[in-house]
Amino acid sequence: MNMPLVALLVGLLLAPVVHAQADVCGDTDPQAIDWLKKMSQSAHTSAYHGVVTFQRGDDLEVMQVSHVADDRGTTETFTRLTGQGAQVLREQHASECVHPGQQLLEMGNDLAAGECGIARYYRFELGQGERIADRESVRLNVMPRDVYRYGYILQLDRETGLLLQATTMGRGNTKLERFAYADLTYGPAPQPRENVTVVHEAEHPSQDIQALPAVTFDWTVAWLPPGFTATQPTSSSDGQRSFTDGLAVFSVFIEPLDVAMTPGEGVVRWGSTTSYTRGMRAGELPVLVTIIGEVPVNTARMVTDSIRRAN
Amino acid sequence: MNMSEQLRESLSALMDDEANELEVQRLLREMAAADDLRQTWVRYHVARDALKGQSLEHRRIDLSQHVRDAIAQEKPPLASAAQRLLRPVASFAVAASVAATVVLGGQQLSQLGNTGSEQAGSVVAGMAPVGMVNTLGATPVRASYGSQAVPALRPASHTAYRELARLRLKQFGQAHAEQAALNTPQGLIPFARVPTIKQ
Repeated sequence: MNMPLVALLVGLLLAPVVHAQADVCGDTDPQAIDWLKKMSQSAHTSAYHGVVTFQRGDDLEVMQVSHVADDRGTTETFTRLTGQGAQVLREQHASECVHPGQQLLEMGNDLAAGECGIARYYRFELGQGERIADRESVRLNVMPRDVYRYGYILQLDRETGLLLQATTMGRGNTKLERFAYADLTYGPAPQPRENVTVVHEAEHPSQDIQALPAVTFDWTVAWLPPGFTATQPTSSSDGQRSFTDGLAVFSVFIEPLDVAMTPGEGVVRWGSTTSYTRGMRAGELPVLVTIIGEVPVNTARMVTDSIRRAN
Repeated sequence: MNMSEQLRESLSALMDDEANELEVQRLLREMAAADDLRQTWVRYHVARDALKGQSLEHRRIDLSQHVRDAIAQEKPPLASAAQRLLRPVASFAVAASVAATVVLGGQQLSQLGNTGSEQAGSVVAGMAPVGMVNTLGATPVRASYGSQAVPALRPASHTAYRELARLRLKQFGQAHAEQAALNTPQGLIPFARVPTIKQ
């Protein structure tokens, strides 16, 4: 998104010793990395629209998505076709605006030069894809190298690289959730939908969004799972900080309390999403920490263990 | 018992997943101090499971037999066992693990196997009709791999925190989806995870 940030991120990715990295990801097929980059780029540059199903357990949601790019940037829409008549819009997102997650997928993965990048944290394998939304696909198996993240089975359009189907895999090969295109057309946007009651504009960093009450003390997250880096905040209150490794994202929310609660923790999980809450003290201050993200519970627990009050 | 009617109602609501956030927070504060609140919690769970007696039967573990065996093996006079149980620490530990068994809906029950009769010393008198066996030592939460030990959990507050986690998912899910929609290769699809999208 801006050059200093890009430089910093690339620097961080290159910092570890090159030959040590090459050993870690030596089993990676370079073609798999090429497909990964193709997937990331097509999501941001193609023009397409279609109907997507989203499945978690017995729950099935259907939505319509569209993506168009012009000289002003890209415009995306997401419209729920089941349940709530809600729509999310992102308009004129500048094409040179590259967020940390996208950078981690597309940069720093130069295997020939011994840079593992994201291949340090996931093992990538290509395979035969299925026919999805009337398109031939390539299968990309993404297996985590540690316990801090989930695996994925991705199926990409053989022609364009667009992500047609993504299944999140938990421990013991359990399917946590899946989204898949049911119908897909490349080209101009579809007819707008009628029964929409809520229209939400997707947030972007540098907008002045005050979603959460201001947090007035300094806090740090001292430990992150390897490969995760901070994203650019969309909220100006510092009550939320999010982190990504390019495929997974989790957000840390901190709420100061006026009265201490019994220390404890609780978890709910739905699909691949974990919501983890702990009542604890940051220094002397009683706080409620919540971590929401598509990561295993233990990641949330360990990140929470490391939260400290700064100065 | 000097626990307020209001707290008891909140406790009941919590068990049915209907407590709102204010109630959950108040319960957590009160449970830190109130022994009778914890005891009520255990009683509610026992009563509830007795009413849903059929949900225990299909587990095919003859719990009443375990209980009978355990009582048969427990040679020390019942009076002293009861006295042990009345001491705050012991009673809470027993109540804790029993409630933990209940709160988990029986996952621990299926692990009883042969270990049930080893818990002889901690059978809680009066629980026999429901047929529950104390699984002292079973904890509702797996040990953390982290550097800090998980704070000593009381099952009542474990459920309260789970409820808080659920409330927070509703409250912050969209704020998290904003970040997922910017940093994953799925465009706006992460918003599909948000139960109710707000303007």
